[in-house]
Amino acid sequence: MTNQVTTFADDQEQPERILLVDDNPTNLQVLFQTLEGRGYNLLVAKDGETAISIAIKALPELILLDIMMPGIDGYEVCRRLKNDPTTKEIPIIFLSALGETKDKVRGLDLGAVDYISKPFQAEEVIARVNTHITIDRLRREVQAQKDALERELEVVAKVQYDLLPKRLPEIKGMKLSAYYKTSRYAGGDYYDIIELPDERWGFMVADAEGHSTPAAVRMAMTCALLRGYPGAASDPDEVLKDLNRTLCEVVGMSFITAIFAIYDGRDNSLRIVKAGHMDPLLYRPSKGETVEIPCEGTYAMGIEQYDEVPVTEIRLQSGDRLLFYTDGFSERFNPEGEMYGLERLSQQLSKDHGGNPKEILDTIVDDAERFAKGLPADDDQALLLCVVE
Amino acid sequence: MEVVEKKQDGICILTLSGRLDANSSEEFREKILQLIEDGTKKVILDCENLDYISSAGLRVVLEATKEIKRNEGKIMLCALQDYIKEVFEVAKFDAFLPIGGSVEEAIKTF
Repeated sequence: MTNQVTTFADDQEQPERILLVDDNPTNLQVLFQTLEGRGYNLLVAKDGETAISIAIKALPELILLDIMMPGIDGYEVCRRLKNDPTTKEIPIIFLSALGETKDKVRGLDLGAVDYISKPFQAEEVIARVNTHITIDRLRREVQAQKDALERELEVVAKVQYDLLPKRLPEIKGMKLSAYYKTSRYAGGDYYDIIELPDERWGFMVADAEGHSTPAAVRMAMTCALLRGYPGAASDPDEVLKDLNRTLCEVVGMSFITAIFAIYDGRDNSLRIVKAGHMDPLLYRPSKGETVEIPCEGTYAMGIEQYDEVPVTEIRLQSGDRLLFYTDGFSERFNPEGEMYGLERLSQQLSKDHGGNPKEILDTIVDDAERFAKGLPADDDQALLLCVVE
Repeated sequence: MEVVEKKQDGICILTLSGRLDANSSEEFREKILQLIEDGTKKVILDCENLDYISSAGLRVVLEATKEIKRNEGKIMLCALQDYIKEVFEVAKFDAFLPIGGSVEEAIKTF
């Protein structure tokens, strides 16, 4: 019978392992005795090949590496370990009688962290080993915390995606497309479409201020309040007032900008309310250009109760393209520090796309990506496009 | 971002330059809330050299405005660049806090 034992890393601190590499048995022994009893686990290798295979298997926390060895020398061992993703982070200290500056520089250029000249003083070896072990321990701690934070942000981003509509509804006389991308910080953007009685639909695009979990919680609150909205939600200003009333109680020192519009398929009317958000954009084929729909609006949700929320009403026409967006999209920066901006966004919306909303959004998103030249977005981005047939 | 603080006629003038964004907003928040906690009741934010403000920056201005109002104090924003002014207008923050012209004018009207 065989027992399979699997060990999991735990918080219990294990002694660091140091690999000592020297082809000269006497040197190796002196080095071993120097570091013995200092709280480290010591591994030894007498040549380059063995050093590499031990390093790959054991992944020690530090390697003390002789340069002049038969077979592959210390430089080559270092080069190979630094080229292997599994071993490249292991700090290497060269140990050699080659004491010239150019030898030291060559070793450091290969990625070694330090260089000790032979014959060495025991105190110097101990001091340098302790220093590099400490630096490497701190580096690993920082890396572990960074990894944990990134995992948390991934979880938060997943929660946000889960709240979005799984698929866009079929609306008579109108085609929809949406784009959503969380940033590396996971912000609080949100879009939604709710079905209302009598061929009416509610469109929401919102942006909870802040990043990470707090923003995602505020976004989720907004989503829950909108989807659970009691009654027929016939007036957009009443919806916004009610959402704001609850959000003011729970949001604290933050806010949520939003644009909410009710579309009535019976007369193609669109009634828009806005809370600290950007105006929607409208491309009208007969005009041949994209303009902002000027909505007076009110301040963002979660700050203070609203007395009145101004409603802006427009009548949509065949071929109209209506775009709701968040500032994460329009305020995308490129490496030169320029902002994508409303003008570029408007130009892209005005292009001749053949009227397919998915293709229109793809063109817009591609253009913004080209503009950003690979610089990641600082903020979430949401776009909701409605094309009137 | 850089913040320079000076006192004139009993008014605390904070001159902001650079970007008030997610990176810089926390330090700015601590600074301005500390001033308010220490009893400062008149604050002018000189934004002439403020190049960018993100929603995180808006939040700090909002929080400071609410906080100073509780102490019966006031914050005024001055000399905003067009872009920054637009951000405040879109956010409708002009409903809570006065946005003025030059610093000199603001000092007179305080």
